[in-house]
Amino acid sequence: MLQTLGLEYHYQHGKKIVFPEIEIERGQRLLISGFSGCGKTTLLSLIAGALRLQTGEIKFDHHDYSSMSSLVLDKFRADHIGYIFQTLNLIPFLSVSENIALGVRFSQSRKSRVASLNQEIDRLVASLGLEKEVLSAPVNRLSVGQQQRVAVARAVLGKPDLILADEPTSALDSDTTKKFLNEVMETFDSTKQAIIMVSHDASIAPYFDSVIDFNKHYA
Amino acid sequence: MLSLLLKSMRSRIIPTSLVTISLMASMVLLLSIERIQQGAEEGFNRSISGVDAIIGPRSSSLELVLYTVFHLGRPTNNITTKTVNDVKLRSDISWLVPIALGDSHRGFRVVATEPNYFQHIRYGNNQPLTFSKGVAFAELSEATLGSDVAEKLNYSVGSEIQITHGSIESIGSKHDDFSFKVTGVLNKTGTPIDQAIFLDLKGYELLHLGWKSGKKVFSLDDVGLSSLPADALNPKTVTAAFVGLKSKLTLFNFSKNIREYPKEAISAVIPGIALSELWSIVGLVDKGFRLLSWIIIAISIIAMVTLIIASLDNRKQEMTIYRANGASPKFLAAMVVYESLVIGLVAIIGAIILVTIVTYFATTQLNLALGVSPSFKWISLNEVKVFSIILLAGVLSSLIPAAMVFRKNLHQTLS
Repeated sequence: MLQTLGLEYHYQHGKKIVFPEIEIERGQRLLISGFSGCGKTTLLSLIAGALRLQTGEIKFDHHDYSSMSSLVLDKFRADHIGYIFQTLNLIPFLSVSENIALGVRFSQSRKSRVASLNQEIDRLVASLGLEKEVLSAPVNRLSVGQQQRVAVARAVLGKPDLILADEPTSALDSDTTKKFLNEVMETFDSTKQAIIMVSHDASIAPYFDSVIDFNKHYA
Repeated sequence: MLSLLLKSMRSRIIPTSLVTISLMASMVLLLSIERIQQGAEEGFNRSISGVDAIIGPRSSSLELVLYTVFHLGRPTNNITTKTVNDVKLRSDISWLVPIALGDSHRGFRVVATEPNYFQHIRYGNNQPLTFSKGVAFAELSEATLGSDVAEKLNYSVGSEIQITHGSIESIGSKHDDFSFKVTGVLNKTGTPIDQAIFLDLKGYELLHLGWKSGKKVFSLDDVGLSSLPADALNPKTVTAAFVGLKSKLTLFNFSKNIREYPKEAISAVIPGIALSELWSIVGLVDKGFRLLSWIIIAISIIAMVTLIIASLDNRKQEMTIYRANGASPKFLAAMVVYESLVIGLVAIIGAIILVTIVTYFATTQLNLALGVSPSFKWISLNEVKVFSIILLAGVLSSLIPAAMVFRKNLHQTLS
């Protein structure tokens, strides 16, 4: 489904990163591990189409990123990619359910895959082990673990092909991390979706089909 | 987008509403100045109509108009009846109505004149005076009331009134030996006529028979009316005379002739010209105020843009999440522009409501102070123009923060 070829990135301050090749198919779970500052977030930004390609190619189901304008890439991201940040995933002035609904706010095709928005949100929330009551709670009342679950619900809503998660567990303790990952892996649709997660925590590797270790790549 | 925008603005309600209020207040200032000035001008200009010239003593023409039409300012000198009668004989004159001012009744001015006043004097857009009750006075012991006088003092046809010497009750002495019977009440005109009491010149002269230099010398009770000679009640002097000409083309020639009248120092004042003199003075002050208001509006718009720019940093998270979920930079830029539009529209709606309230009180004040009651519209074409300019200026200046948002790289915000 997704394939990168010869990706390199030059930062303005002179640093250059050569990324490992990545290939992932639907239903696969890929972990990219490595120490902080090794360019994991940059790689996710390139895959998300948030950062323009400099050297190399990204192909996503016969779509070639280098031939797409940033406007087309925005549209493409809306339709095909769900994104989970490290922290601060939620808009504070929106309710939890409004935050989740943002996942299909900018994509007609993702919206059309959801028959009933409220029912689907209820289902995701339950599957992620959240109480139904949090839906109407103000975002700042939620614990970090709850906030990250809401972010997952938003990223998988409308079944985008690819879910990108940037250190979603870095603010969670190890018990919560396990529980969280269990719920995430149960919630994502392994027949249609793929997930790429970056993390510096190698101990979560058992949850994934394959692991790319940036540290080894550089070594 | 609108619901997202409104929720986002609500989360920043205090700074946003303060900026909205400052923009609204500056607009209220501008519109109030404009409306009150227009209202006063309209009120003044419609107060007298159909009068081609006012003949009075040679003095400031504005002073004469203010005193004879609006009953404002210091009393002018009188002119002799003999002179007035001379002028009346001129062939270019269609009609002439003499008036004598000076007395009052419970704070309302007394205008002593002839019954033909009601035929010739007009107001507004050449509208004639009409009676809501009764008829014009016909005898020297009769009076006609302006509508405000009748309403506020609760007088009607048949009421008896006594006149005070001078304009203020407490220091004037009463002409308490003679009373006038009300024969009619005029319809409301929205001009100083509403606040005047009209008497016959002969009756007015009779009141002053026993007076010398503002003091009562003998009482009318001691005089038999029938024993007076016929012309004893013809006034020796009057304050001024309103004149209508047969043709307006002769107006300037007429006023030149009057100025050159050999036996007395008189002049003919054209009300419209005197009033436009007034507005050229007021207009200068008004322009200054208006300039000041525009400057304040500009400052408010700058404050609004500053607020939006300052808020962008706090909204980094919000913007990033929109972008990560597929919103284009266009969407974010549009959101910023719409925010300025919402602030502008709310400020405009608030300003219209406030100005309407301000105008209502201003009208009452204008009526109390000047006797004029101008009519105000909800919103004028000129005001729509002003609002459009302000809205456009707000939207144009919001393009600065919009461009800042548009150019921001998503990756900068993602990491």
